[in-house]
Amino acid sequence: MTRQVFGVEVADELRGIVREPAALFFSVVMPVAFFALFVSLFGKFSAGGLSAGTQMIATFGAFGVISVVLMNPGLGVAADRERGWLRAKQVSSVPIGVTLAAKVVAALPYAAGVLVAMTATAALTGALNAPALALLRLGVVLVIGSLPFALVSLAIGFQVKAGAGAAILNAIMIPTSVVSGLWMPLDIMPPFFRDIAAFLPNHHLSELARAQLNGGPVLTHVLVLLAFAGVAAVAAGVSYRHARS
Amino acid sequence: METVLEVRGARHDYGATKALDGVDLDVGAGECVALLGPNGAGKTTLVNQIVGLLPHHGESVRVGGGDPRIAATRRQLGVVQQSLGFPTTLKVSELVTGAAVRAGKPRSAAGPVMAELDLTDLAGRRAVKLSGGQKQRLQLAMALVGDPRLLVLDEPTAGLDVPARKRFWQILAERRERGVGVLLTTHLIEESSAVADRVVVLDRGRVVAQGTPDELVARLPDRTVIARTGLALEQLQALPGVVSLRTDGDHVHLGTRTPEALLRVLLVQDPGLTGLRVEGAGLEEAVAGLIERGAA
Repeated sequence: MTRQVFGVEVADELRGIVREPAALFFSVVMPVAFFALFVSLFGKFSAGGLSAGTQMIATFGAFGVISVVLMNPGLGVAADRERGWLRAKQVSSVPIGVTLAAKVVAALPYAAGVLVAMTATAALTGALNAPALALLRLGVVLVIGSLPFALVSLAIGFQVKAGAGAAILNAIMIPTSVVSGLWMPLDIMPPFFRDIAAFLPNHHLSELARAQLNGGPVLTHVLVLLAFAGVAAVAAGVSYRHARS
Repeated sequence: METVLEVRGARHDYGATKALDGVDLDVGAGECVALLGPNGAGKTTLVNQIVGLLPHHGESVRVGGGDPRIAATRRQLGVVQQSLGFPTTLKVSELVTGAAVRAGKPRSAAGPVMAELDLTDLAGRRAVKLSGGQKQRLQLAMALVGDPRLLVLDEPTAGLDVPARKRFWQILAERRERGVGVLLTTHLIEESSAVADRVVVLDRGRVVAQGTPDELVARLPDRTVIARTGLALEQLQALPGVVSLRTDGDHVHLGTRTPEALLRVLLVQDPGLTGLRVEGAGLEEAVAGLIERGAA
């Protein structure tokens, strides 16, 4: 029963994205376009036995999946709230968690699509030199690791209108991504960027992804992301309980 | 008669403000109860408790014997909101089918309900493209497809023309015959007089009166003086003995307990008065009077 309801909820969300793809278009196309630009310029440089283009799949990939899951579920909730549709869902017999989970799950194929597009771009430019299994692990890590960002997205979506939500989420996503080294390596950035990045989940997600390629340590990154997930879950829960009508 | 909604001593505070202060309310199977009252009376708070959006104390609210805060209980509920904006991307058939599945019914349950509500020809149309009346029928279809025991209707006919309203109430009458209870909140008091078995008047979080529309009207000795007049509303409000005032086209309706005294002054102040008649108070005047008196 719950599985059927979940299926209907996900189908409705996917229909929404397919029939009006404009919102998702930018959160998919922008990261891939950035990636294509950077990988064509610097992709064939080598660092630690891996091409820069391959490593960029971890950093720009983190930016891409965060972009998709941060922008979409929250803006969907904000729009539903504004039009009274969220209230209609709340008074139905479907637990609200099912509705919200469907919004997040519906965004995941697009997050995966971003990674596939980036991998294909790297391959086409001759900048890809990692085994398929490592790339698969990287993709799984990024998609699963992006889920706490969806909770942040929902927390904001319960409080602001969709228009304001887009501005707020962009104001969170872009600076934190830059400071986390998702666009350019932290090695070439001012040192204090590295100090700030240590506290940002974006950075730990990209490092965890990069560890799938270079075998680097993962524990710290996993712990930080788990802590972030806990904080984001509490924030989303509190925000839902005090959601604006 | 089986009770599908039972509210006992419902309370809710917003800070220091008592939104609900011990409200009792029952709706029986097949019964239509209209919940009336001015803005801020507590109607929305009470409805939000009934549909599970707000917490309630202990067992003060029961829908079909269950707690509406529990999702499974809400399968017995159908809700029609005043102004629901449908998702821009979903079609009529998808919405009704989705509502059926969410209510634990098979997808095939959507077809008969759509036919009942004349939505079959609109099945492939996006909901946002529908007219106001069609949207209300769609909401009703989504509410009915789960075979609820209680329908909660919030201003369900606001913005509908007369034929659409008639059709709406016809459909509900058929469901009521099958035992569906209806709780209606509306500002269209005369409409509720026509469709409700009982009226519950809420003011400042308390039930100030309840009974059949005729019983409530009979509780007031008020009369309504109806006329076409050139006097301004402020002048009319200032006339002696006026307890309520409303306009209906080019007529004004003045509620009063002393119609003779009012008529004397009115005829002096506006010698050109036309279309004059005096009637017993309608439900609207009765509700206004009962609220004013805080009747128990």
